[in-house]
Amino acid sequence: MDTWINILVLGAIWGSLYSLIAVGFTLIFGVAGIINLSHGAFYMLGAYLAYTFMTLLKIHVLPAALMAVAGTALIGMLIDRYGIRPMRERHVYVLIITLAFAWFFQELMYAFYGPHGKHVKSFITGDIILGNVPVSYQKLLTFFVSGTLVTLLWFFIKKTRTGKSISAVAQNRDAAVYMGIQPERVYLITMGISAALAAVAGVFIAPILEAVPTMWVFPLFKGFAVVIIGGLGSIEGAIIAGMLLGYSETLVSVLISANYPDMVYLVAIIVVLVLRPRGLLGKRAH
Amino acid sequence: MNPEELFGKKILYRRLMGLSIFSLLVLLLPIVIRDDYHLELLFLCHYYVILACSWDLLTGFTGNVNFGHAFFIGGAGFAGALLNMHFGLGYWWTIPIGGVVAALCGLVVGSFTLRLRGPYFAAVTFCFATLLYKWIMIRYDIFGGEEGLPGIDWLMDTAFGNYYFSGIFMMAVVYFLYFLSKSPFGLILRSIGENETASEGSGINTTYYKIAAFVISAFIAGMAGAMYGHAQMHVGPEMAHDALSALVLMMAVVGGMGSIIGPIIGAYLLTLVNESLRFMGEFRLLIYSSAVVMVILFAPKGLLDIITRRFRNVLGQER
Repeated sequence: MDTWINILVLGAIWGSLYSLIAVGFTLIFGVAGIINLSHGAFYMLGAYLAYTFMTLLKIHVLPAALMAVAGTALIGMLIDRYGIRPMRERHVYVLIITLAFAWFFQELMYAFYGPHGKHVKSFITGDIILGNVPVSYQKLLTFFVSGTLVTLLWFFIKKTRTGKSISAVAQNRDAAVYMGIQPERVYLITMGISAALAAVAGVFIAPILEAVPTMWVFPLFKGFAVVIIGGLGSIEGAIIAGMLLGYSETLVSVLISANYPDMVYLVAIIVVLVLRPRGLLGKRAH
Repeated sequence: MNPEELFGKKILYRRLMGLSIFSLLVLLLPIVIRDDYHLELLFLCHYYVILACSWDLLTGFTGNVNFGHAFFIGGAGFAGALLNMHFGLGYWWTIPIGGVVAALCGLVVGSFTLRLRGPYFAAVTFCFATLLYKWIMIRYDIFGGEEGLPGIDWLMDTAFGNYYFSGIFMMAVVYFLYFLSKSPFGLILRSIGENETASEGSGINTTYYKIAAFVISAFIAGMAGAMYGHAQMHVGPEMAHDALSALVLMMAVVGGMGSIIGPIIGAYLLTLVNESLRFMGEFRLLIYSSAVVMVILFAPKGLLDIITRRFRNVLGQER
């Protein structure tokens, strides 16, 4: 019984985090058509900025978290403006420049903070007991924040004027231009939102795990996996696939062995790409 | 079409002359440089030139980004090491067998995934490399886990021997890839890179050519991986790590993709710069990575492009 409660809770928490990371990744792909390999670096920057503001500068939790997220969004927009915009049409270069930026940020964090993990104090302390399983408030908070943000994003895209212009560019760039939308501005905003979402995931993961310079690799490729399973460019697909991946990893790690959860997403990518390349809810097949 | 007509005899010969001068330099350099440290460093340059050039054959020409070159390097490295340790096979056996193992892996992975385009292919190649890395870590009883497998037979007895072995191997690879890229096969790969749909429309079976390029690229990378294992007398999981794939990719991009000559420049430059920045201590990789970012930002087509533009009248018109 306790095992199953454990699986249920952990799966929900990791699943919501994966969804949060993947939603930003799929958004920037759906809108601008680019695979942003810096996405994991935004997550890492979120965690390190949270560490900087909270532990080193001792700013109160809420403003510090907001500053970390805003700072990362700014960096994302700068990368979009000066790194991606000049060669947006060339997919190979976009892949490579974003990878190079991710590598650069890894080395920057390594030079500033060293190779060892940096721990951030929990935002709220204490546990809630479900059955016999203690779940920290920190993890519950992570779950609720991720869930709220993903829902808010969905409403933002569907209901607001800016959100509608984003989906207009995603549907048909040229038609959007005729309607008076500036695509470059939309790309910039989308990149900012996408980076901010990844940074939120990073801020909330910093107290649960640790901030290390190489932490960007696995969320990036788990996010990639979620997006491929859900269908590139589909927000709903990313949410569903994120929860699926969270639960299947937790199942594997609790029931089989802690060695194997990282294999789940790798095998899932391969299987999905071989059997159904457009993903669960994807529209476009290449 | 006769490739010479297309590229012009003059340029073909001028570039060949450049390659000949380069190979002469490689052969004669040990007259000046005799200490083991520099010979080892140049051995590393040769190794990375082979990797970057073989990577370039698929990605530079057809535009399908291979993010998992380390899959072939590490896979063949470990295959060669295990054959050497358990069956006592010498490097004359393990290097070709490593290449064949990698080529077979390339054939399997390629025939599953090269129907996919762009980011999908990149994701799958990354996944295979990471799966291999994880597998090496999990089955530490076979692969030695974090420490890898020590005690493989020497390639040659001296750094001098290693230098010449790798140098001749590198020249063979470079000449082979150079002529391949100028052959009708290379022309088809280039046309896939320019516009895959149009090439398909002209009756080219693009998937077949992409797989062929992938298999050749894997074969060469596999031989290089097996050779590296012998030269270091050790194979480790870092040979299958995505950092190696990324490094090879950066070398080819910094030099200039799709040209065979660009990756040579990139591999030499990045290996030597990385080594010469050692005095910077912990800031070495920061400077190194920011330099790479700068090169990609300001010379997205690579350094070769800048060089050829600057000396166009000397080198002749590009392509």
